[in-house]
This record gives sequence, C-alpha cells and structure tokens, in this order.
Amino acid sequence: MFKHIINSSGNVNWMAILALLTFMFIFVISIVLIFRKDKKYLDHMAHLPLDDDEDSYSSTTLKQ
Amino acid sequence: MGKIEQFNYDNGIVRNFAVATAIWGLVGMLVGVLIAFQIFTPGLNMGPELTFGRLRPLHTNAAIFAFVGNGIFMGVYYSLQRLLKTRMFSDMLSKIHFWGWQLIIVSAALTLPFGITSAKEYAELEWPIDIAIALVWIVFGLNMFGTILKRRENHLYVAIWFYIATWITVTVLHVVNNLEYPWSWIKSYPVFAGVQDALVQWWYGHNAVAFFLTTPYLGLMYYFMPKAANRPVYSYKLSIVHFWALIFIYIWAGPHHLLYTSLPDWAQSLGTVFSIMLIAPSWGGMLNGLLTLRGAWDRVRDDPILKMMVVAVAAYGMSTFEGPMLSIKSINAISHYTDWTIGHVHIGTLGWNGLLTFGILYWLIPRLYNTKLHSVKMANAHFWISTLGIVFYALPLYWAGWTQSLMWKQFTPEGFLQYGSFLETVTQIIPMYMIRAFGGTLYFSGVILMLINLWKTAKSGHLIANEAAEAPAREEYVAHAGEYWHKWIERKPIQMLIASAILILIGGMVEIIPMLTIGSNIPKIASVKPYTPLELQGRDIYIREGCLGCHSQMIRPFRSETERYGEYSKSGEFVYDHPFLWGSKRTGPDLQREGGKYPDSWHYYHMMDPESMSAGSIMPPYPWLARRDLDLTYTAAKIKTLQSLGVPYPKGYAEKANDDLIKQAQDIAASLKKDGIETENLATKEIVALIAYLQRLGTDIKPSTGAVPTSN
Repeated sequence: MFKHIINSSGNVNWMAILALLTFMFIFVISIVLIFRKDKKYLDHMAHLPLDDDEDSYSSTTLKQ
Repeated sequence: MGKIEQFNYDNGIVRNFAVATAIWGLVGMLVGVLIAFQIFTPGLNMGPELTFGRLRPLHTNAAIFAFVGNGIFMGVYYSLQRLLKTRMFSDMLSKIHFWGWQLIIVSAALTLPFGITSAKEYAELEWPIDIAIALVWIVFGLNMFGTILKRRENHLYVAIWFYIATWITVTVLHVVNNLEYPWSWIKSYPVFAGVQDALVQWWYGHNAVAFFLTTPYLGLMYYFMPKAANRPVYSYKLSIVHFWALIFIYIWAGPHHLLYTSLPDWAQSLGTVFSIMLIAPSWGGMLNGLLTLRGAWDRVRDDPILKMMVVAVAAYGMSTFEGPMLSIKSINAISHYTDWTIGHVHIGTLGWNGLLTFGILYWLIPRLYNTKLHSVKMANAHFWISTLGIVFYALPLYWAGWTQSLMWKQFTPEGFLQYGSFLETVTQIIPMYMIRAFGGTLYFSGVILMLINLWKTAKSGHLIANEAAEAPAREEYVAHAGEYWHKWIERKPIQMLIASAILILIGGMVEIIPMLTIGSNIPKIASVKPYTPLELQGRDIYIREGCLGCHSQMIRPFRSETERYGEYSKSGEFVYDHPFLWGSKRTGPDLQREGGKYPDSWHYYHMMDPESMSAGSIMPPYPWLARRDLDLTYTAAKIKTLQSLGVPYPKGYAEKANDDLIKQAQDIAASLKKDGIETENLATKEIVALIAYLQRLGTDIKPSTGAVPTSN
C-alpha cells in the first residue's frame, strides 16, 4: 500500500529527500533534547497555566 | 525569589475581543446560512451586491479573520498576560490593535459585496486593506513581544511558542501572497501570473488554515484545556515535539490544493509527501489534548465547556486525518472540485474552531464578569445543537461530493460519458444542499442561544476591567554549565522567533523559489497571447462577480474531463493570467475551454436568465450586466500595469487600447443583433466584455481558431 502511495505521488526528487532529512534531523534533535530535561523543569512548565488562580474548575463557574 | 510585585491584568481588552468574536461569528455564519440557501435557490440572489459569488468570500473572510481572528486575540490577550505574569506591554497598542482589526473587518464588508476583490481565496481583500492588515498585525506583534520581554516568568509556556510561530508565519504569508501592483486607488493585479500565482496562493491558502485556524488555536488548546479540566497538559514533552514537527511540516503542504493541475509534478509530490507526514504531529497534538482530561472524564458528562472542548479536539483529529487522505492523488482525483472539500473544511471550522471558541467563551465570560454562567442548561443545549448541526452540515456534503464525482467520471459501455450534461450532476445533489442548509441553520441557532446566555451572564456581574495580581519580579537568569541549547531558545523569545522563521522559510523557499526562477517549470506556448483590452475588462467583471467561486478553469488530465471539457490545461496557457483563476470548486462546469463552444447570443441569454438556456440551472441571473455601461477609464492603466509585470503588449499600446476595445465590442454587439438581441447601445455594456472574455477562454491552443483570438 505504501509503495502504491509513494509511486502514485510521482517522482519524489532530491528536494523532498532533503526536506525529509531536515525534518528527521529537527525531529530527532527536539526529541533528544526534551527527553534529557529533568522532571522538575517539565512539571514547572506543565503547571504554568494553572498557577495563577486557585479556582480553575470550570464547574465552579457553573450554576449546578 | 525576587520581590513580590503588584500589578493588574487588562481584562477590558479581552472582553472587547470576546464581544467582537461573538458578534462577527454571528454575522459570518448568517452570511454562510444565506449562501447555503442561495446555492439551490437562485431567486435568493437579491441584486448584484447580494449574489452568491460576492457573498461567498465575505462569508469565508468573516469566518476566518473576523470570528476566528478575534477569537485568537481574545485567547492570546488573556493567556499571555497570565502565563507571563504581567500586564500587556501597552494599553494603547492593545486599543489600536482592537479597533484597527474591527475597521479592517468593516472595510471587508464594505468592499467584497461591491465586487472589490483580488480573487485570491482567503486573501480577497484589495491592496489598501492589505496594507492596513500588515500594519495592525505589526502592532499586535509589537504588543506581544513587548509583553514577552517585560515578563515576570522566565520560561515561555508552549502556548506562547505557538503564538510566536503564528505571528511570524502569517506575516511572511500575507506579504508574499499580496504582492500586487495597483492600477487604481482600490484595485490591483498580482505580481505573479498563472502557475506561479497559483502556487503562491495555495502556499498561502493552505497556511491560512495552518497558521491562522490551527497553530494559534493549538496554543489556546494548550492553555484553556488544562484550565477547564484543572489539570496540566498530559505530556509537556509531547507538546514540544508537536510544536516543532507541526510548524516545520505544515508550511510544505500547500501544493496538495493543486494536485493534477498544471503545477509541475515535483511540487505536487512535495505537497503529498508532507501532507501525509502531517498526520503524526497533528494526532500527537490531538491525543495530548484529549489525554489532558485523564481522570476528569466523569466531569465531561455535565460540563458543557469540557464537552465542547472534547468535540473540538476530536474534530481537529478527524480533519487532520482526512486532510492527508485527501492529499493522496488518487483520493484527490475524486474529491477535488466537489463538495467533499467543503464538508472537510467545515469539520475543521465548525468543529475545531467553532466549538473551541464557544468553550473558551463560556469559560471566560463568567470570569471576566466575576459571576457564574447564567444557564448551564442552555450551554448544554448549545452543545447538542451545534454538534448535530455539524453532522447535518457535513454528511450531506460528503454524500454530494462522492455522488457528483462518480457521476462526472461515469462512462457508458460504449465509452461515452453517461452524464454528459453537467446539470444532471448538479440537480442530483440539490437535496443534499438542502440538508446542508438545515445543518448550517441549526448551528447558527446554537450561536444565538450562546449570545443570549453570555449576555445574561455579563448582566448578572460586573466587568473586572483590571484584575489585581501579584508575582515575584523576574530573576536574572544565570546560565549554568551543561545547559542545553533548547532551553536557551525556550527562554529567549527572539531566538524562538528566529528559529521558527528559519523552519517555515525552508519549506516556503524550496517550493516557491524554483517555480519563480526556473523557466523550464512553465514551458512556453507560442500561440498564447495577452488578452485584448475588451477581454481584459471582461475578465475583471468575471473576477468582480466571483464567478470563480463556482467555476474552475483547470481541466485535469483525466479522460472523463477531456471528454467533457476538451484538451487538458497546460501551464503555458496561463502565463498572462494576473491573477490565475483556476478556482477550487465546480458547482457549475469548468470554463477553461468555454471559448467558441456556444454563439455569443447563447451567453447573452444565459447571463440574463440561465434557466432559459439550461432548464433547472441553479446559477443566478446577472441582468445588470446588460444595463451597466463598461467603465473605460482604467483600460490604459490596466494595460500599463500588466506591461510592467511583463505582459508583452506593444509599446504605447495603452493609449490605443480603448480604440481596439470599442471595435471588438461593436463586432460582438453586431453578432448579438444578428441573433435578434436589440438592446440599445449594446456595444457599450458590460455584458459584451464578459462575452468577449468567455469566448476567448482556452482558444489560444485550439489550432482551428488561430493564434489571434476574435470574438466570433
């Protein structure tokens, strides 16, 4: 199936190959870097939207 | 920790953008409902300013730039201040941004119905408004970067990365796609022609979807979903990979709008390959959004905000799966030019953008007014009405798309087209258009319900225009040994801006620069000549009336198309087309080989009353074309503009152009008279110019008609 998709999309020329390689490079670099971060840092980042107010429950704005 | 500082968040500007989002959403969707009915009821086209062709761009622009645009700014102004723990950089810039953007929307509403359009989809606004957009966008950028620079939080949360990438990419796209040469204070021709114009346009058009409807909304998703669910994003790591992969890949995908057209094969292939790759980051993002609700699924049952967000993210997942599938050439051969595409787009806009916006509005308004939502019941009703509305909107269009495409391609055992009359394939799907209009109306009525609910909510509280907050001052960051450069980028907004810009420029440059510079990409055809002045005027009327909203001018190299329309389109045929008019939808038949198919009088009668020539036609009549005098004021200016863009009219031709124009008009008027059309001063009317253009279409490469086209 994949062979068919590639074939029917024509001649993937050097530009596409180059672009794919550039992408792989960026993808791998971003994965390597992000997985080397420590947990404390990631927790801090992930909690950034939540640490400005205490009542973040959307249900608190709703009349039940 | 630094000294604790007191400051205020600017909620007034967030409220203003929220109100604008809701009101323009209502207006844009109202126009959508109207055109959904117009498409199968020609009688609803009430006068020139309110025809489908002119209102369709008004609807798309209103939905994208007025509704979603204001939605973006609402979400960015709210989240940016809180994520960075600071007030916006400048209240004055915020105000200029807000009023400037609303003024642009009003100017769109005042130009598009009057036929003032550049004909480029989602970039129809003319040059003075384009400049205004650029200026207001820069004001937004200054305000955003100013805020980032004076922040109290060292780190930039991933939502802000999406905002930064959005800002830089939209800047690049807007400037390049709107390079145009004015021929009057309000009208212009684009710098690029034909295939090049098409590539630039769809590089822009696709990325209007990517960087206006998607990346900023992903930023909003990464902020507001954790807020609404009261838990952090499922995986911050995944969000980072999502970001880099998405912005890098998205920019390449534009050519998938031009599969099987005259665009060189290599560019089409790039579009396909990158579109398929897009599934990975898109679904990574979707899953990240959905999994953010881990452990909170029980609340989805009663909380309309979470319900809306869940369906929004699911719609994002569906349309980002469907998009890559539609980019596979063999599937695109079925879907392109049909209503399938319209169905696909509306899963994205009604589902993803619409429901996420509604969810955010229901979350935000009670907070801005320090109160509780007026009615949860109404919000729940809104959720169900809009979800059903989407189903009733999209499913009939999928059905219609497949039906029409299969009918277009059906041959009899003898090898003839089974549905040789295009009209048959249109009347077949009219019931689907009716159900779609019902779905749209349903969705629209949900929005009215929301407005009432939000209005009552606001009335029950008081706007906290300035919300008090406090945060420690920002510490000077001391780089420590072993720090990774990613962290360095992530703390520095300017580096972030540059890195994003480089990433998106790679794709844009690799695709566009070879098209603009390598001549062999567009083989020349010696018999293709510039339009005569009358044809040029006719072409501008074709653009003004928005004919390209329903008629393509691009015959794909399929037997089913060459049998129906004639020789397939060659890239060399469009070298003088500023702008290109390939279109993207066939509600009516393709017109590229229309020239010489019918007598002049057929076109006259057809434009006056389409049903008189094709019984059951759903095309609106254009009687004003026979009443209005053709404006000859700008003929010379148009010719001169085209000359400076490289169209080879003879030197000094601009001054003589109107003489040629009048002569050709008289010839056509004489031919019409011969067929019994006795309207007074026919040669001076707009209809004659339009007929000249239609009769010219596609004739340049017909050996029998010769190189120099004539009207008869």
